[in-house]
Amino acid sequence: MKLPPHISLPEKKRVAGPERSPVYAMVGNPNCGKTTLFNALTGLRQKVGNYPGVTIEKKIGEAYSQHGRPMKVIDLPGAYSLAARSPDEAVLRDVLLGRRADTPQPDRIICVVDSSNLERNLYLVHQILDLGRPVIVVLNMMDVATTAGHLIDPKKLEESLGVTVIPCEAVHHKGLVELRLAMSRADLPLARHRWDVPAPIAPAVADLQASLVQYDTRSPLVARAEALLLLTDFDSVRVAGSTPLSSRTIEILASWRKRWEGEGTDWSATLIRSRYEAINRLCADVIRRTREQGPSVSDRIDAVLVHSIFGWLFFGAVMAALFFSIFTLAEYPKNWIDDHMTALGGWVQGSMAVGDLRDLLTHGVIDGVKGIVVFLPQILILFFFVGLLESTGYMARAAFLMDRPMSKVGLHGKSFIPLLGSYACAIPGIMATRTIENAKDRLVTILVAPLMSCSARLPVYLLMIATLLPSTTVATTTKVGLMLLMYAIGTLGAFGFAWLFKRTLFKSAPPLMIMELPPYQRPRLPEITRQMIERAWLFLKNAGTIILGISILLWFFSTYPKHPDPSATPDAQIAYSLAGRAGKILEPVIKPLGFDWRIGVGLVTSFYAREVFVSSMAVIFGVESKDDNTAAIRDALRSAKWPDGAVLFTPLVCFTLMVYYVFAMQCMSTVAVVKRETNSWRWPLFQIAYMTGTAWVVCFVIYQTGRALGF
Amino acid sequence: MSRPPFNARMPLCQLAAGATARICEITGDESFVQRLREMGFGEAALVTKISGSKTSLCHVNGTRLALNHDAAMSVLVELLPLGAR
Ligand SMILES: Nc1nc2c(ncn2[C@@H]2O[C@H](COP(=O)(O)OP(=O)(O)O)[C@@H](O)[C@H]2O)c(=O)[nH]1
Repeated sequence: MKLPPHISLPEKKRVAGPERSPVYAMVGNPNCGKTTLFNALTGLRQKVGNYPGVTIEKKIGEAYSQHGRPMKVIDLPGAYSLAARSPDEAVLRDVLLGRRADTPQPDRIICVVDSSNLERNLYLVHQILDLGRPVIVVLNMMDVATTAGHLIDPKKLEESLGVTVIPCEAVHHKGLVELRLAMSRADLPLARHRWDVPAPIAPAVADLQASLVQYDTRSPLVARAEALLLLTDFDSVRVAGSTPLSSRTIEILASWRKRWEGEGTDWSATLIRSRYEAINRLCADVIRRTREQGPSVSDRIDAVLVHSIFGWLFFGAVMAALFFSIFTLAEYPKNWIDDHMTALGGWVQGSMAVGDLRDLLTHGVIDGVKGIVVFLPQILILFFFVGLLESTGYMARAAFLMDRPMSKVGLHGKSFIPLLGSYACAIPGIMATRTIENAKDRLVTILVAPLMSCSARLPVYLLMIATLLPSTTVATTTKVGLMLLMYAIGTLGAFGFAWLFKRTLFKSAPPLMIMELPPYQRPRLPEITRQMIERAWLFLKNAGTIILGISILLWFFSTYPKHPDPSATPDAQIAYSLAGRAGKILEPVIKPLGFDWRIGVGLVTSFYAREVFVSSMAVIFGVESKDDNTAAIRDALRSAKWPDGAVLFTPLVCFTLMVYYVFAMQCMSTVAVVKRETNSWRWPLFQIAYMTGTAWVVCFVIYQTGRALGF
Repeated sequence: MSRPPFNARMPLCQLAAGATARICEITGDESFVQRLREMGFGEAALVTKISGSKTSLCHVNGTRLALNHDAAMSVLVELLPLGAR
């Protein structure tokens, strides 16, 4: 891009090496409006990736300067402090300190601040100013501050800190032009702010600083900030992918720590206090409070929603609404999709010559994909609900209410957020565990999260319920009741195993929790819609690629090799095929659960993802069925028999199979996420073993007891 | 500021809803205590209890913070004499 000469020339002098636009990092406390500002600033020019080794979202966007030059903006995870207590915060710290090889160390930092809560937010700013980089402080949520009666003087703040301060309202796109202008400046001022490091700590800081410069190749300024940080953080949370400190620095740190422990002084408390004292002096200058703070709107809503009686009533109503919409509202779009896909299958059937290709298209492709796509509405509804709870701020209240029940199993309220999210899908659920500070509690939550019935189980449940109960004579309430029973079993299972794990493998002191309850917000429908579309797309892409592939493969394996006798029954053909032979090997293991080899094939293919079970059943029993129409899978299942003529899908077997899917770990993506999140194969393998093992044992007991009782 | 001769100290979880108190001591797990302080929940801060007996909901420095029972046990507060605010 061609720049006007008067801009580019002085810039060239300042920037050493090839001219490149500065890289900005965006930091701030959780809920300060950072994401909103990042989106407003970069529009859709974002790339979402991961920090290798940890499943923490890495968002890099591009903003344009006043002169149209692109500038990179990295959105870092929200944090209260650079002294990391969770992997999320450790990533923030390590990127800012240049400890990560996968991310360029940002040249400049944008600190987003919630103006209605300036003191607390300035704590992070205070730490960041120590880094000695050009900083822009964005006073976001000025409207909220004004309504709350805090008059903030940005000019005064700018004078005291020495860095650029920009008032802003990200949701209303106010202040963005000014921010862009500041970002375009070649000469951002450096922080002038000074605070006195408490004298007794100074030798330790000097010691660590020297070591960081010498052994960890830091620049002196960053080394000083890092030294200060190490004295509160003690390098206690490390994440994969970050360069560790040199052993020399770690030694020095440990020796200072030991010395202080011997003296019985608490220097980290002193450091924090002295920062807060500096901040309070600053705020006294900058903020004028026009009136005494009364209870805010959120406080008044909270008086009801976290109330020990009304709060639970409301929570119950929310959950009831969630399940009601999954089971009833979703019926209409579901039937619509079903009808159209069936019509398509019929059309292909009618317009093609009889042969293997036609079979492949109707039984392999269309049946396989249809079995899955019909569940899209339900999945969308689940994601809509979870998005709604999150964006209104209610999720934190649900966690607050659930804290007490959760404490009975040794976890705290924050663990409830990932668990609730796992009703939609365990993957975002597991990623949401990152806010849990205690490593053991986080691991326990990760281990039990996939037991919460996710949306991929819905197809299996619904198919089994349809097979189990004739649609005409049984009331809908019975079906819904059966479905709720599955959700209840899964949820109880998750709590039960959490209890067990906390008492055995992960014994630790009772968990401590501090959680901020953000102000209530009107739901951001565009944001929720975007997430739903993303999820739907992912789901359809999966159905259209991998699941389609599995269906085709399965069709192939169940069609070949061809039975030597061309007039063999379809039953004999599938038994003769590769899939049939493989299934037979598995049969002895699952026969005690009432499953035959055909179900076994489904169990194996659906290890990729649970919903594949449905498409596999469609393919296996579709190939088998004698009439050439794309008959409903349900009817095919109902007419399936054991070799001795006994009905295969008895009500007991259907029920057992549902319970099997409640417990069994049948999801490759979850395995992959757990592997990345825990950074070892140990926990995903353990998870597969304990979940699938439990599934087998529970199903064995159910089926054998059921048989003994004559079902 | 005149104070009564001594103020009763109590853990935060015992503070009555609606009462305001000053934090005087935080004990327990080192890293957790540090996080409390960093979030403005440090010694000398004023805390107003909004509700809760097992899980406490409080107001500190203009934010709503929830502490679970064990965390609230480790925070000692002293009640402010009426009208001291
Ligand atoms: N009133 C007001 N709300 C804002 C402003 N900026 C962001 N928000 C809202 O604050 C909430 C939290 O914002 P978000 O960007 O998700 O925060 P993050 O957690 O820091 O990423 C959202 O509901 C936003 O709509 C602002 O300037 N004024």
